[in-house]
Amino acid sequence: MKKIKYIARIKRYNPDTKESYWQDFPVEVEDSLTVLELLMYIKDKIDGSLTFRAFCRSAICGSCAMVINGRAGLSCKIQAKDKIRNGVIRIEPLHHLPVVKDLVVDQEPAFDKFKKIKPYLVPDPKKVPDSLNSESLVTPEEFKLYDKQTDCILCMACYGSCNALEGEEKYLGPFQLTKAFRFIADSRDGVDIEERIKLVEDHGIWDCVQCQMCLAACPKGIKPAEDILELRRIAKDSGEDNPGTRRAKHWFADVFATGQIDKWHLPENAFGDEVGKEMTKQLEEEFRARGLKEEEFGPQPFDGIEQFQKFLKRLVKEAE
Amino acid sequence: MGKKIGIYPGCCFQGADVHNYDILVAFLKNMDLEEVLLDRSACCGGGVIDETNKLIVYGLNARNIALAEEAGVDLYTPCNTCYMIIAKTKLALDSDPKLKEKINEILAEEGLEYKGTATIYHTLNLIRDFIGLEEYKSKLKRKIEGVKVAPYYGCHVLAPNEVALDDPENPTLLKEILEPLGVEIVDGYKNEYTCCGYHASYTNPQQKEQLAVKPLEGAKEAGADLVATPCPLCHKAMDGHDEPIIQVLQLINVACGMTPEEALFHYNKTPVNLAL
Ligand code: SF4
Ligand code: SF4
Ligand code: FES
Repeated sequence: MKKIKYIARIKRYNPDTKESYWQDFPVEVEDSLTVLELLMYIKDKIDGSLTFRAFCRSAICGSCAMVINGRAGLSCKIQAKDKIRNGVIRIEPLHHLPVVKDLVVDQEPAFDKFKKIKPYLVPDPKKVPDSLNSESLVTPEEFKLYDKQTDCILCMACYGSCNALEGEEKYLGPFQLTKAFRFIADSRDGVDIEERIKLVEDHGIWDCVQCQMCLAACPKGIKPAEDILELRRIAKDSGEDNPGTRRAKHWFADVFATGQIDKWHLPENAFGDEVGKEMTKQLEEEFRARGLKEEEFGPQPFDGIEQFQKFLKRLVKEAE
Repeated sequence: MGKKIGIYPGCCFQGADVHNYDILVAFLKNMDLEEVLLDRSACCGGGVIDETNKLIVYGLNARNIALAEEAGVDLYTPCNTCYMIIAKTKLALDSDPKLKEKINEILAEEGLEYKGTATIYHTLNLIRDFIGLEEYKSKLKRKIEGVKVAPYYGCHVLAPNEVALDDPENPTLLKEILEPLGVEIVDGYKNEYTCCGYHASYTNPQQKEQLAVKPLEGAKEAGADLVATPCPLCHKAMDGHDEPIIQVLQLINVACGMTPEEALFHYNKTPVNLAL
């Protein structure tokens, strides 16, 4: 077996002294190690005090997530040799969660948020019979809507790399919202959609900045960012009225009318208040100062827009 | 005139941001590329039309790509988000023949077809793969010296991984593009990869504000005079704070011999002063 030399740069935290620091561990190890095996090697041979959490070693229990080279993932699933950059692998605990010791974080705050979205099925009596003698049928088409999302192992890699949490610590979080979507999409669930949507409104779907880091992090190929857009769609379709849903409505109408969004009127249309109006007015002044004519303030339909509109109508029909 | 390239003018090149279009055209001229404006192209959806339906996003962007293919050119947009969404669409269509067929059936009504032959470019891979780093360097006429610049990628050129334009765990491309301009690079700063927050501008403006200042402050702390981003949306989100930020294309235009005035520095809210 081939041995390779590199440095494991690990972020340590000592809860007794409250000290946090980076420590370099030069290693010469087999090139076949996972990051988790690398950590076990270091604990075994170099520093017995190094602390991390792991259990299944096969990407299923969800306990070994950490941030490696700035990107969150499961340490038992990632090959160490793929992570060497300029001779170094950087390993740190998941972000946005309190560190207990070294690479171990306290998952409780994220679970507390998880509980807020009712992360369980409330059987719909019309769909789920109470007698064990009859079945509760789910068609393959119905299941396809949330099949992927049921693979979530609650590893929190997405949570530990989420940008929305960087700006707003009350944000519910990616896996929490993916789970909310999963139950809305489940044909057996008996909770009203409006009620489920209410659970994800407060510091939920509208705080997400669509950075896509949760897609990059998830070891199961789940796409929380895209589920969040679905939740926003459902919120809009179920009659929610807020800047987000208004933005979505105007956005589509603008694109239908001209092919482009009308950034001039978007603030007043989306916010629908004095602040929004003021923003639109400010833009107007900016345009005038630049010597633009009124017809240049917003987009104009391009040649052949009628054809485009037919195309868009067909797309919408297909989408339904 | 040099090679032809198809320009996709997303929302950040129109209306209030029409100067970005002028910056882009000047850049192409400086690089000796011929612009083919895809003038029937439409909004990429901005991650908002998904809130109506994802199939529409695929359709819109298959159409945008098909317009480039019809004109026999590749598609270039400097916007990180447009790039990511269009590249995601290309991936989806190229890996799902059924989806491609369905979309092509609808496109046929407009006489268009998505073939999958056009490459999707953003400034980063345009310079690396379409122009070539050496050729790019040969177009630069002067050094911008005495200024410490912090590269800021923004999110959508590094995530999701399938469409990332550089190694997301150790990207170097932006540095390779900025260094030949003569500037001193300051990287490895705090919050270098934190999102600018732009996409929360309407849904939660406070969230956007919280995020926008983080990379700026991190860069300043590390000693940078200026942050440089390829993305016009990141620029829009972060401009107007204490620390100056500039679009990479503006800096390149100056290095190609334009004055800051010609490179439209006066549209930057926080003044950018280069000692030239
Ligand atoms: S896309 Fe949204 S949920 Fe996903 S990591 Fe970014 S901010 Fe968080
Ligand atoms: S969505 Fe993916 S990354 Fe997030 S907790 Fe579930 S399995 Fe982990
Ligand atoms: S140890 Fe169980 S998922 Fe890694």
